[in-house]
Amino acid sequence: MFYVRRASPLHAARASVAAAYAVALVTAVLAFENPIALAAVGVAILGAALLAGAGRILLRAALYGVPFAIVIALINPLVTDEGLTVLLRLGDIGPLGKLDVTLEGLTFGAILGLRALLVVLASGALLGATVDADELLRGFRRISVRSALTAALAVRLVPVLGRDARRLADARRCRPDATPKPGAAERLQIVRAVATGALDRALDVAATLEVRGYATAAAAGGPRRLREPWSRHDHAFAASAAGLVALAGGARLLGLAGYDAYPRTVVAAGPGEWLLAAALVLVALLPFADRRGIER
Amino acid sequence: MSPRAGHPLRLIAAICAALALGGCGIGAGADPDAPIGLSVTRDFGARDALDIPDAKVSGADTVMRVLRRNATVKTRFGGEFVQSINGIAGGRRDGRPVDWFIYVNGSLTDQGAGAIDVHGGDRLWWDHHDWGLTPDIRAVVGSYPEPFVHGEGGKRLPVRVECVDPKGASCKVVADKLIALGIPIGRSNISRSAADETLRILVGPWTAMRGRDAEADAVDRGPKASGVFARFDKAGTALSVLDERGATVRTLGARTGLIAATRAEQRQPVWFVTGTDDAGVASAARALDEGALSDRFALAISDDLPVALPATGDRGAGGG
Repeated sequence: MFYVRRASPLHAARASVAAAYAVALVTAVLAFENPIALAAVGVAILGAALLAGAGRILLRAALYGVPFAIVIALINPLVTDEGLTVLLRLGDIGPLGKLDVTLEGLTFGAILGLRALLVVLASGALLGATVDADELLRGFRRISVRSALTAALAVRLVPVLGRDARRLADARRCRPDATPKPGAAERLQIVRAVATGALDRALDVAATLEVRGYATAAAAGGPRRLREPWSRHDHAFAASAAGLVALAGGARLLGLAGYDAYPRTVVAAGPGEWLLAAALVLVALLPFADRRGIER
Repeated sequence: MSPRAGHPLRLIAAICAALALGGCGIGAGADPDAPIGLSVTRDFGARDALDIPDAKVSGADTVMRVLRRNATVKTRFGGEFVQSINGIAGGRRDGRPVDWFIYVNGSLTDQGAGAIDVHGGDRLWWDHHDWGLTPDIRAVVGSYPEPFVHGEGGKRLPVRVECVDPKGASCKVVADKLIALGIPIGRSNISRSAADETLRILVGPWTAMRGRDAEADAVDRGPKASGVFARFDKAGTALSVLDERGATVRTLGARTGLIAATRAEQRQPVWFVTGTDDAGVASAARALDEGALSDRFALAISDDLPVALPATGDRGAGGG
């Protein structure tokens, strides 16, 4: 939905590889609780977005993601009091029982919030901005043409409905009795009109598809396409994705980048962790060094 | 400032006042005014894992926090219940369930350890034991002189010594021992008490005590009802020592004493200083001290030798 083909190595890679790269970054985020490793993955996500020309989209996603992360960070100390450093005693709070806010609870809440934010940035912003959804869905067509078609239509329908909503809002403002700023009731009317319109549009689409023969067995197989050979960018980003997953898995197996949240916060911060952090950033951003053939 | 502008400030002040009255505050709170004792044992106190008379505490800690400060702990159910202490985990052993149980001043807690505040002088006792027969051993004697000195929840409780013969020697021994600890006591005949908030010690031969008190009836019904792993025979002249499965390990005859505690729902613990006969009661009264009772769920005394209850394989029925 935010996808625009830009001149960047990540955009030059095929959609499945770019998606795998984003998924690998998410895997790395979920694999670690250690703040050094998480910061490294954060730098990798930020760097990848900037080098792919998607910094603005990342910033916009962060505007939604940061409040979400703050809520997680604030809820955690309220639902767990396993830490030993009590900062605030809230006494007995009804069904929540006895509640103490601890430094360890707050710290781990911040870690959980950071992880949520990084997942939003990697899986939402970076993936949305650098992966051509149509190309990705074309790949899925080999597995299930109906599912791929449904997903493609759903993806296409969202911006269409957005435009419908804007048109309806504009039309509403043209009325002589319209208020300059629509209130909650007016907004609800627009949402209701758009939702009703969505059902109408879905029926239209279904009828059109039937007329075009999408329901026949021949169409289910899809048109035959020649397989494109893998480009250097495909290889580079696939290797990077594999490397990120291997680093995350290897670190877990070797017990690197440990983090104990309770009863006291213990962060592993030895040379191994710093090396791991450097490796994560390097492996994630190295494919961007090759800028040959990034224009299509 | 408009008249309405003060409302939010007043509201905030009211909330702060309510929180302060509700035991809330910034920081860890004030340290307890007396040392907190922490014991960690296995198999009904048979094996010591940790014994700290002055455990590390910071401010208004909970029972769980005190444990975590002094031992390596793994928890479950959101940190409220202990799964393992120093690597000794709950689960199953020889096909029977074993878990950690916490006794605060000799009473099994009915809340998670994270919900219970500790108070100066409290004795915390974690025991890892088989609960196949009953998980409900509500009161134990191993934290003596608690609960008589510091009570429950930081509140000292009234103590009454109820005797079959209030002027008898055993009654006087028990009363004198409590008075020596600075505990104000009342003395009376044994009666069916409706006083829920009084700690009672019943002193006398079992034959004279039987049927006169709800808690005594519970002891006669066995460990599932009372948590006491010993049973007097019908005549009250012999005491069966039971193991953790409720099986009789040995039977003790004349001159046998018993110190045990039980607790009914919504009432304070009731202690028994009793025996098969007057001689048995006298030996039980003599054994009422911290050294003899430490880490015991209950104690039988045969020929002035302690027999820990329930009898476990490690300790044996005659072990001390």
